[in-house]
Amino acid sequence: MSDAPRDSDASSSQTTDRVPSDRFSPMWRGETGEFQQSDEQLMTAFSRGQADAFSALFLRYKQPLFGFFHRRVADPAQAEELTQETFLAVLRAAARYQQSALFRTYLYAVGFKILRAYRRKAAFRATFLGEQPPGREPAIDNAIETQALMREAVGKLEGLDREVLLLREFEQLSYAEIAGLLGLPLNTVRSRLFRARLALHDLLAAPASHSSTHEFAQSKERL
Amino acid sequence: MNTAAHPVAPEEIMALFDGEVAPAEAQAVSAHLDHCAECAGLADKLRATSESLAQWAVPPVPSSVEETVMKQAAHVAAGRSPAKQRSYFSPSLWGWKQWALGGGGVMAAAVVLLVVSSAILSRPVRQAARSVEPAEEARREAYYQPQPTDSAAPMPTQSAGLAQMGALKSPALAQAAKPSDEPWGGGGGAPLPTHPAAAAPMIARTVSLAIVVKDFAAARASLDSILLRHRGYAAQLTAATQENAPRSLQASLRIPAPELAAALAELKTLGRVQNESQSGEEVTQQHADLAARLQNSRETEERLRAILEQRTGKIEDVLQVEEEIARVRGEIEQMEAEQQALEHRVDFASVDLQLTEEYKAELNSPSGSVWNRVRNAFVAGLSSAAETILGIVLFLEEDGPVLLIWLAILGLPVFLLVRRYRRVRAKL
Repeated sequence: MSDAPRDSDASSSQTTDRVPSDRFSPMWRGETGEFQQSDEQLMTAFSRGQADAFSALFLRYKQPLFGFFHRRVADPAQAEELTQETFLAVLRAAARYQQSALFRTYLYAVGFKILRAYRRKAAFRATFLGEQPPGREPAIDNAIETQALMREAVGKLEGLDREVLLLREFEQLSYAEIAGLLGLPLNTVRSRLFRARLALHDLLAAPASHSSTHEFAQSKERL
Repeated sequence: MNTAAHPVAPEEIMALFDGEVAPAEAQAVSAHLDHCAECAGLADKLRATSESLAQWAVPPVPSSVEETVMKQAAHVAAGRSPAKQRSYFSPSLWGWKQWALGGGGVMAAAVVLLVVSSAILSRPVRQAARSVEPAEEARREAYYQPQPTDSAAPMPTQSAGLAQMGALKSPALAQAAKPSDEPWGGGGGAPLPTHPAAAAPMIARTVSLAIVVKDFAAARASLDSILLRHRGYAAQLTAATQENAPRSLQASLRIPAPELAAALAELKTLGRVQNESQSGEEVTQQHADLAARLQNSRETEERLRAILEQRTGKIEDVLQVEEEIARVRGEIEQMEAEQQALEHRVDFASVDLQLTEEYKAELNSPSGSVWNRVRNAFVAGLSSAAETILGIVLFLEEDGPVLLIWLAILGLPVFLLVRRYRRVRAKL
């Protein structure tokens, strides 16, 4: 990997941006075994003026949220900016925060709004001002090539199917949470997720039709 | 997968892996997977897809994000608002709905402007076209003229009015107005119609009087009695009672000249005189001329009759004389009628009377029952709606083709841009 890890979490495994599901209980046991506060308790504490509470929340979600944007936006610099923007939006609204839903649902909802605004803006500039939408850096190692392969395969999915799949696979949201976030019926989420998984399986199994023979060989090795 | 052959739906197998199945159901799905190779294959496929995706690693988040966010968090925790950052919620960036609305509004405004301007520009032509039909315009204006309501005595024509006012006519004047049955010159040497006022100046009097009365019914009765007393009559009389307006009466009276002063004095007692004007036209000379011409014609007629009686000649000559007599006779009758009308104008002064009731607004004006008013409003509303729909249809018929052209001209680039925008956005 060309980018050297810049913090301790960055050196962890490839799935560090996946949120463990037991973290969403009111009290959960951390890696060191001690009981920690839930996301919602931390956010409530921060809205009452405890600055450390937000630090804990940030540490929990900085990598998952960055992953959320990184997999959806071609430009890594934009993903970084959008991650920052989402946290700042949560900060701005901290005083009005009410514990009516899970914090992660709330966080991803804010992230989705910011993502949509970004896409609108970029599409507008590309359409009316002639600016080219930001592209991805060329692949220079295996990890980035894998990313490119995944991105290409996922990019071939239908838009809504893709979102459902990413939210389930990486953000680890439940079917009900996905339905609430995207405004879809639960059964639709289930059927779209099933369709997306099968379609992606076919795309990854036969990459020769849409990728080079070299990439196909590499992908077979990796998969 | 044939669901009839498999007791579980393929989505349920997927849901089992996602932990989205109830425990009892999970047991059934697991049991089915144990002895169904096809479903087990599907499960492997789903598992492999998830494992493949798990390899999509993301580089660590740059530390600059943490620095910025934590700095802002400290601001917020300290009770200060976070510093302004460039936001993707910037109001300068419209959403697609706003763009669609804004663009649509601009387009609609442009189309309306074009239609209005084209309508204005084409108006002089229409006016010119309309001006060639003045008769049609006059008919239309006449149609929309308010029709006077005459509840008391509708008199569409003066002759009808005269007939109706026959009751007001005094016997003496009826006799005077009646055309004489006596054949002028029938027996030869008929007496000349000598007017008693022939020596004195003959003046045709005209008076205009506007009076406001308090009690309209009483004033009306008094008017009748005044006419009877002074041997006058009403040549025309129109009484009108309009809703939310004072009652009024317009009458053209004929009063014998000697009685005029007395009759006027009595008429003025009916109420408050609002306007009065008197005029007199001297017709002495006119009457004298007419009398002289009449006399000449009669003498001519006498001579012609004498010729016819005394002389004999050819039939042709006799017929010629008779024709001449008939012509002179016609002239005489015409002049006699003129003379009679002139003398009548002198004998009877013309009084144009306008009686108006003092108006008192009534709180409960008799404008119909509540039900009728509701019904009328409903009918008017329906009529208005029908007119509006008709107007829209006519507008579309008249300007629809032009609108379509403009929509095509303006809409095509917008459509292409929107399509491009959507494609670009889908790729992002």
